[in-house]
Amino acid sequence: MTTTIAGGRAARRQTMRRIRPRRSPAVPLLIAVWAGAAGVLWLWWANTPSIADDDSRILNAGRITGLLAGYLMALVVLQMARVPALERRVGSDRVARWHAMSGRYTLCLVVAHVFLIMWGYALQAGKSLGDIVQQTVDSIDQLPDMGKAAIGTGLLVLIGLVSAGGVRRRMPYDTWYHVHLLTYAAVFLTFWHQITTGNDFAVEPAAKTAWYALYGTVTALVLWYRILTPIRLNLRHRMRVEAVIEETPGIVSVLIGGRRLHRMGAEAGQFFRWRFLAPGMRFSSHPYSLSAAPRPDLLRITVKAIGDHSAALRELSPGTRVWAEGPYGALTASRRSRGKVLLVAGGVGITPMRALFETLPGAAGDITLLYRANSTQDLALWDELAKIADERGARLMYAVNSPDGERPDISAESLQRKIPDIDHHDVFMCGPAGFAQTVYDALRGAGVPARRIHHESFEM
Amino acid sequence: MRKSHPIRRVVLTTAATVSGIVLLLSLKPGSDPASAAAGAAPGAPGAAQESAQGGAGAAAASTVTGDAAQTQYGVVQVRLTVAGGKITKAEAVQAPKGGRSDSVTADAVPKLNQEAVAAQGADIDAVSGATYTSAGYRQSLQSAIDKAKAAPAPSAPASQSGGGAARTVTGAVAQTQYGPVQVRVTVSGGRITAAQAVQAPKGGESDQKTALAVPRLNREAVAAGSADIDSVSGATYTSEGYKKSLQSALDRAGG
Repeated sequence: MTTTIAGGRAARRQTMRRIRPRRSPAVPLLIAVWAGAAGVLWLWWANTPSIADDDSRILNAGRITGLLAGYLMALVVLQMARVPALERRVGSDRVARWHAMSGRYTLCLVVAHVFLIMWGYALQAGKSLGDIVQQTVDSIDQLPDMGKAAIGTGLLVLIGLVSAGGVRRRMPYDTWYHVHLLTYAAVFLTFWHQITTGNDFAVEPAAKTAWYALYGTVTALVLWYRILTPIRLNLRHRMRVEAVIEETPGIVSVLIGGRRLHRMGAEAGQFFRWRFLAPGMRFSSHPYSLSAAPRPDLLRITVKAIGDHSAALRELSPGTRVWAEGPYGALTASRRSRGKVLLVAGGVGITPMRALFETLPGAAGDITLLYRANSTQDLALWDELAKIADERGARLMYAVNSPDGERPDISAESLQRKIPDIDHHDVFMCGPAGFAQTVYDALRGAGVPARRIHHESFEM
Repeated sequence: MRKSHPIRRVVLTTAATVSGIVLLLSLKPGSDPASAAAGAAPGAPGAAQESAQGGAGAAAASTVTGDAAQTQYGVVQVRLTVAGGKITKAEAVQAPKGGRSDSVTADAVPKLNQEAVAAQGADIDAVSGATYTSAGYRQSLQSAIDKAKAAPAPSAPASQSGGGAARTVTGAVAQTQYGPVQVRVTVSGGRITAAQAVQAPKGGESDQKTALAVPRLNREAVAAGSADIDSVSGATYTSEGYKKSLQSALDRAGG
């Protein structure tokens, strides 16, 4: 894609023809999710002839929350199944935020369900709210599959506690991740009581079939995309560390060799989840963006040493086996809707921008890169950026703190002054959340519509 | 990239969920509309028009069994004896069992039976403390009444069709915890001469249990001549399913 770029109207027309922005399937997916929720509520409605008193009101509130929780539980797992349509078209970051949100909501529904059902049972048995604990013990003892469900619910609550912001920040990522994997066990354990004690599934065989189909599909997708697809990818490409290069103090590039790497279908702007099979690193995988367009024999990632893991990358020896999953991420050329593009990078956020800067189709003057860092020494990859800018006739700008530590002025006015036709650009942005927010506000102020600001953020 | 307001989002989501559930609950009618009986449980023993056992007399009383109604605590199924267009007797052939349900059933079912005969319809009051059983009872009662109206009592009881003429009838499949159970009976001269399970739980521990329980249940069915047989201990679920399917086979055989 990079080789044919030249000035002139013909080339430009050629380029424009290739720009067909792909719509994110987020809206149809959300509509499908809502339709499914409506179907679940309809199931309850159709199977509930009447509600006579407060006991049954409480019990039925418990049934509704239970049905919704069971439905959402499947979707929460589905969101993390690494389905390409979600990861590459909706965007991994957005899906991860959906997952966190719907996970919290589902857990609240589960807790409400347990409480309401047990309260309702207690009232029906002529007891009061105070006997709810005894009622719960009795129900676990007497009803089928309730023991499993109780263990599963306990696990879900544990996972919820561990994922709460305050706890998670104090916990090593690996520990959190492995606790989080228990979700699969929890979902499995809580599934069976839905089928055996759930009134709606006992009464409606079609509903039972649909429920099995929902959970079966999710299981199949998880097995396929989280297990089989990565195994196939890694058997095919057999990646190893080629070299580790220090770019600037604290920022290293890792070169990764392998077989026919261009066949992995990775695009500039995407990332892989990397697992380096070196002591102390093999049990966790981390997402790092490609910092150059993939070559048939070589990939490159560029990483800032902030966590334990990224610091350990510096010590990797050439030849270390690499296990990768991907490519993921939707911050690619296919998002673009216009001829002109502004790339904005903050710090190590340069990595996907560097790959896009090299490969985005465009005539001379179409592509601009704005690179924000603390100081000129922190401008990692600057030399190669300058070279690309030179070859492509692209514009390259940087913004660093002044020697006395003052932050550069990034505002609607300053952006408009630098790039007078900024409102005719697509903007791709990658950087820390605070920086991204500042730039976003400045861009909106300068007249760039929100739909043309493409941003990836892994902050929850 | 929208600014996120976590607190606002939590409050909005909670409010929307709670008001949605309250709305759904309040839209449901407070008492069971008559049409609710139409939504009776599928998988229940099939249509049950049957002649009274030995009902050769002039009164031509017939029994009708309603569809099984699922409740929170178990299945309720009502059988009516109808004579001259009137309900002369109502009984529950199935009612919730086990734990606290035993006492609730013992208390509520006789009352409901009386009410049904007195009211001559399904418009009966719920027994307090047994809301679910009452609702299930009404549902099954309504379906029995509908069936009685749809097919008036047969002029001649079917079981009285001469001496031999053995017939085999297969009951509906009864789903259990461990797998489906289906019973086939051979009926001759109004009596069960043989019973066998054409389907029973299989696999793992179930194989053993089935081998143990099914022959015993077969013998019991022949001895009792009805579905009123004891469960085999250690195979409660299979026994329940067996009884259910047996009842449906007997219903189909016409007594």
